[in-house]
Amino acid sequence: MRQKIAILFSIFALLAFVLVPTVSEAGDFAVGTTLENFSLPDTDGKARSFNDLKGKNGAVIVFLSAQCPVVKAYNERISQIAADYAAKGIAFIGINSNSTESLDWVKSNAAENYKFPVLIDKGNVFADKLGATVTPEVYYIDAKNVLRYHGAIDNDRSAKAITENYLRAAFDASLSGKAIEKTRANAFGCSIKRVAE
Amino acid sequence: MKESICLWTKAGVNGWLFVLVLSVAVFAQRPVVTPPGSAAGPGPSSPVVVKLVDEVAFKKLIVPNGKPLLINFWATWCDPCREEFPDLVKLDTEYRGKIDFITVSLDDPEDIAVAVPKFLAAMKAQMPAYLLKTADESAVISSVSKDWQGGMPFTVLFNEKGETKYFRQGKVVLETLRVELNKLTPPAIP
Repeated sequence: MRQKIAILFSIFALLAFVLVPTVSEAGDFAVGTTLENFSLPDTDGKARSFNDLKGKNGAVIVFLSAQCPVVKAYNERISQIAADYAAKGIAFIGINSNSTESLDWVKSNAAENYKFPVLIDKGNVFADKLGATVTPEVYYIDAKNVLRYHGAIDNDRSAKAITENYLRAAFDASLSGKAIEKTRANAFGCSIKRVAE
Repeated sequence: MKESICLWTKAGVNGWLFVLVLSVAVFAQRPVVTPPGSAAGPGPSSPVVVKLVDEVAFKKLIVPNGKPLLINFWATWCDPCREEFPDLVKLDTEYRGKIDFITVSLDDPEDIAVAVPKFLAAMKAQMPAYLLKTADESAVISSVSKDWQGGMPFTVLFNEKGETKYFRQGKVVLETLRVELNKLTPPAIP
């Protein structure tokens, strides 16, 4: 009898382990999931860890591209949002996962456009882990490393008629202790150029 | 004085005539743009027609009409979109009549006048072409596929019941897509 209970317990424990969402399961890093600390090299080759880079109220991981016209259209807005929320304890961390963009290119583009670090995701391993496929694509992680918002920055890449500031709204709700109304939004952008493609 | 007025008038008339002839020539070269809901697709020798669609028209557009429906989402600013287009034109020729194949441009609506039809004309594309104008990209993306996060190009194949049989974010793999198309379009019995 004890043996049967032990076997059943083991099966349940195994199932629980399999079913609990973790980031290490490839592809679908859903809102509410906790991000394990990670480390990637910056454009100078220096290893940078998420926990060291995040602010007191968390961080935004933004997937970028040096060549994508949609990212170019967003660069000014990204810099402005990063500046506005740096003082409120939310840091920005850029990630470049595009296999088609050289380190020199990414480095000069980062220096030209961003005041926050851009990390190199060689082989798009980190993009695969999070299931990121588009640039620009943002993940807002709170102080406890929990994903609070994922997707588009706002609802108009041309910036001519923005009616929804998804990322700013997520920050503001989170900073004031309210529930984030929209935790997921998609927008048209460039596909991340993966190594296998 | 009278002679000088006469000369000025002649020069003016010639100038206006020149402007008129030039305007006619430029107008004749312009691609045709039609408003949402208007009929007819381009024929082999017709100018490229790009129809502007809003969310409401788009919802109807993505419903198959008795045949498998292949949709390609693209933009002139998207390098891989442009790169794969010759393959898509090839597919259109191969499967014309067996499936419905449409392209949906996600360019800025002002590009409907020149950039979009110019590219389609250069590609000799004959698929019905649309340009989507929407204030809610997220809703549009979700309505097409739960597996699409908005990256382009994006190609999706629905069977005649509207079930997704193939989708690809990034350039299509021609052979894979052909296999799926062949499953939905059995060869005619001789």
